[in-house]
Amino acid sequence: MLETPSTDVLVIGSGGAGLRAAIEASDLGASTTIISNGVAGKSGATMLAGADVTLDGAGAAKIRLPGNEEDSKENFLHDIIVQGYYLNNQRLVEAYVRDAPARTKELIDWGVKYTWDGKRALLTQGIELNRVLTEQTRKRNITLINDVYVTDLLTQGNTIVGAVGVDVNLGEVQAFKAKSIVVATGGWQRAYYFTSAPGGMTGAMHGAALRAGASLVNMEMVTFCPNVILWPPPLRGDIFPYILIEMFGDLLEKHGRPFLRDEYDPSIYRIATTTEWNKLIFSLACTRVVMRGDGSPRGGTYYSIKTVPSNIIEEAEKLYPGWRWLRTDFSPLVEWLKAGNAVEVAPAAHYMEGGILVDEHAASTLKGLYAAGECSGGLFGANRVASAITQILVQGAIAGKTAAEFSKNKEARGPNKKQLNEIETRLLSPFGNKGRVRAPGLKKRVKEIADHYLWVLRNGKGLKAAISMLEGIRSRDIPHLSIETTARAYNKEWIDTIEVESTVQVLLASARSALYRTESRGVHNRSDYPLTDNNTWLREIVTRAVKGKLTLSTRTLTITKLKPPKGKFSFEDGIIRAVKELGE
Amino acid sequence: MTTIKVRVSRFNPKVDSAAHYQTYEVPFEPRMTVMDVLDYIYENIDPSIAYHSHTSCHRRVCTRCNVTVNNKPGLSCHTEVTGDITIEPLPRFRVIRDLVVRGL
Repeated sequence: MLETPSTDVLVIGSGGAGLRAAIEASDLGASTTIISNGVAGKSGATMLAGADVTLDGAGAAKIRLPGNEEDSKENFLHDIIVQGYYLNNQRLVEAYVRDAPARTKELIDWGVKYTWDGKRALLTQGIELNRVLTEQTRKRNITLINDVYVTDLLTQGNTIVGAVGVDVNLGEVQAFKAKSIVVATGGWQRAYYFTSAPGGMTGAMHGAALRAGASLVNMEMVTFCPNVILWPPPLRGDIFPYILIEMFGDLLEKHGRPFLRDEYDPSIYRIATTTEWNKLIFSLACTRVVMRGDGSPRGGTYYSIKTVPSNIIEEAEKLYPGWRWLRTDFSPLVEWLKAGNAVEVAPAAHYMEGGILVDEHAASTLKGLYAAGECSGGLFGANRVASAITQILVQGAIAGKTAAEFSKNKEARGPNKKQLNEIETRLLSPFGNKGRVRAPGLKKRVKEIADHYLWVLRNGKGLKAAISMLEGIRSRDIPHLSIETTARAYNKEWIDTIEVESTVQVLLASARSALYRTESRGVHNRSDYPLTDNNTWLREIVTRAVKGKLTLSTRTLTITKLKPPKGKFSFEDGIIRAVKELGE
Repeated sequence: MTTIKVRVSRFNPKVDSAAHYQTYEVPFEPRMTVMDVLDYIYENIDPSIAYHSHTSCHRRVCTRCNVTVNNKPGLSCHTEVTGDITIEPLPRFRVIRDLVVRGL
């Protein structure tokens, strides 16, 4: 095994959160290394983000963006918590609204191209953010390591001393010594088959954090993005119709009826079509249509712009000239839609509210382990409406600072040889196995379980079935995974083997949490417990691994500013109530 | 069921002196992409085939799945397949294995 020199701060993940963490740590004098399972700027969720940076209007005005000075951090915090169904860790929300203006200003100072929406959002693109942040990274003395898939964290007692990963190009196991680690690896959407997220987001570090002794929180909370293209294959997984429906168009069931307009309260319809609550409302409405048998042949619904006058469409094109968005020419799709066709769309796994349990300093429950961005949990409670880009910038900078301060004047500790050997043996064992289980097939089976039982609308029976299948896979199949391919360089079977192990672990944590939460709240909806129960369930669910077994418990909410109301509400009533509270 | 013939350049610099071609027969689906074809081969015929996908965006943004299809460069996630094809690595890049190259 190759062992690399020690670094003060090791950042795992090269999306926005990882890059911002590294910049902060380096500026505070820490020697800093970023390990990416891909390449910075060419992997991770940031590159696909729409993307907006949100901050309060008064904060915007202070950094000379024309924001509403009557708005305030307190208002913004209030909105995020109401949108999160009060499950948010309010200390994390305080940090978010406090630091959002500073993070936005520095982006502008660094030359990001943007437009301002006039209220609370700086509009840019993920590609542009990556450009700016990688440029800043290159200006500093930060080491970048590409294509190394980190699988494990090294600990001495409950202190982090390094990490182990596989260099996928060389096909080698490598160890990295570090005084502290910032995990910034995003969500685990690739545990699902139908997702809008890029490859590599499989929860490897969620699994590693659990094994090392850290906790996960709110793992039942998964946001789905509605209106994601199911067919044709070249556009599969694309969220462009989701962008379009913010302007016009209808979702239709198989008889051509616009079900949201026909079946929901007019106020819900208005909220769904004019605010970013659309993710939650559309996803649930579409899933209900498919479950009652009124979906499209591929298991979705239809998006149509047939009733939209052509000059309205032309007007909208000014926002997306030539119908180009995220390096893609969507004009053939728009022309096809204009001709009266409807594209098949469905909700796709999109954003994870849950993740590694951290405090407002980005510190996990392990010494020297920090988490920032989507891989951490608690900020957005049960539903995210505000920007995840602001999240990665704010939490990235905080994690970089805390990690740099922690590493100061500390001696690097060598990794425990026994632990190192155990990890290497585990990673290499599928090469010697003559077992019957192959990673490509197993990965497919696991994803089918996720898409079937851990989808938008869950129920106890399905969750129990999923848990039993996943437990079976964990005990009976994973130990017998074997790799047929002898070449180590870019061995896809090996990569899939690594991914499927962590995927099963995060799905188990998610399914167990979803079964535990006997209510519906935000993005977590159960047909057998349809009410949001503020009398019993204003609690976070925490997952830990004790001697290899997942153990769940609940934790009292962190409330510093906004006291949640008591009572029980239906999905519709909850949204109508929330919208009244938000004053929209 | 219609099938297509897919010729793939195979090369492991550790053991091979030169690249050679291997031909696979893959069921054709309307509008399938080169990535779909490679996934089919990997999942059903030959798991030893190497092509970049572990952090692919599948959305034409990351550009790491760039390969040569019938002598033309193209992103495998976005290039549609209409008949028999030859898939090779991008020219002038050092091959890590099969279709995976350094520097993309």
